[in-house]
Amino acid sequence: MTAISCQGISKSYGHYEVLHDISLTIQQGECFSLFGPNGAGKTTLLKILATLQRPSEGRYEILGLDGLKEKETIRANMMFLAHGAYLYDDLDAKENLEFALALRGQTPTDRDMKLALDRVGIGAFAEMKVRNYSAGMKKRLALAKAMLAKPKVLLLDEPFTALDSAGTEIMREYIRERLSENGTVLMSTHDHNKARPITSRAGMLRLGSLKEISLKALKSDDLF
Amino acid sequence: MTFFNVIRWIVWKDLVTELRSRETISSMVFFALIVILIFSFSFSMDQQAAREVIAGIIWVAFAFTGIIGLGKSFSAELQNDCIEALQMVPESKGAIYLGKVAANFLFMFIVEILLFPMFVIFFNLDVVEEISWLLLIFLLATVGLSAVGTLFSALTVQIRAREVMLPILLLPLVVPVMIAAVEATKGALNGDPLSMYRQWLELLVVFDVIFSVVSFWMFEFVMDN
Repeated sequence: MTAISCQGISKSYGHYEVLHDISLTIQQGECFSLFGPNGAGKTTLLKILATLQRPSEGRYEILGLDGLKEKETIRANMMFLAHGAYLYDDLDAKENLEFALALRGQTPTDRDMKLALDRVGIGAFAEMKVRNYSAGMKKRLALAKAMLAKPKVLLLDEPFTALDSAGTEIMREYIRERLSENGTVLMSTHDHNKARPITSRAGMLRLGSLKEISLKALKSDDLF
Repeated sequence: MTFFNVIRWIVWKDLVTELRSRETISSMVFFALIVILIFSFSFSMDQQAAREVIAGIIWVAFAFTGIIGLGKSFSAELQNDCIEALQMVPESKGAIYLGKVAANFLFMFIVEILLFPMFVIFFNLDVVEEISWLLLIFLLATVGLSAVGTLFSALTVQIRAREVMLPILLLPLVVPVMIAAVEATKGALNGDPLSMYRQWLELLVVFDVIFSVVSFWMFEFVMDN
């Protein structure tokens, strides 16, 4: 079954066209990696698919639901891990998890939260305010949020940024787990070496246009 | 059920973060104290003149401290891009609106309750008999301010000059609430019978209902665009 499908997506800011006629289909159980230089439009495309921005042209469907008309249902089945991590500095890790999941209509138990925090390696800091977290710890906490939410579609914007090698492996392990449960992952990344082991298909976004590339091309050091 | 849970969690989050940071209430109280001090010195020689304008002074202080709180309500959501997480909540955005209105109302009302004794002391007001009516006036006017202010806080949060734009857009809209609040407060402070300022209380109720319903309805559009 198709999990993500977009046809003719374009996005302009004033006269500047960031995305041009993007068409893409991703099946359930696939991990699609989106590569491209800075300013290529990767984050913009993810934000459109996350229902945060409207495309200037084109249409898209997530799990067969119209992205412009059925946003609420899409949001209930999707999670977007963005650069900002969506965390409140004055709340601790557990409170952040509880709050974020409550807004999704989920009520994680203390045990579930502890397990998720232990799994991402920050269990010892569960009651520390996020204000005192490093960028990598914030990324791990955002990952714990996704683990508890168990979304059918996971959008990841630069998931390996700020993560050390252990954190990268935890992220990859979680992505593999989602895929094995028929989930779908679309991620943007610069790091083709870290993304390669979990990528099912890949695309290169350059000057707003998307072109699918072979997995073999990911082995090249001069990808960009 | 999720709708009411979202309201509850938004209020909880805003209260807990404020209790820990004390950024909003402390800046509101500090600003209002300065306003009270300046006006009390201005009128220190003429207590009669002060009594004539005290209702206006009270509402100038309350409205501007309220704007400080309202401005922080959504700008705090810019931290770590949390506003995007609110946009992606799979529930009617009206729940987020009501949660924010409730939290803003609480902050503003708490500050008003803290500040009013200062007005009583500095301007030598006799309010014992009218205190319940004054509290009702404060409550009704604060509901109106927070209802429309929350919408405009969300509307201006992504604008670069949001600190300037919020009062510019909000104040003209809440003029009717301010006029009704000032007139009702003046009546209560003068010890007038309720029948003499009842129409201003009714006007406040009408504005509260209109502002709340329209803002609730528009909030979804503001958050999604």
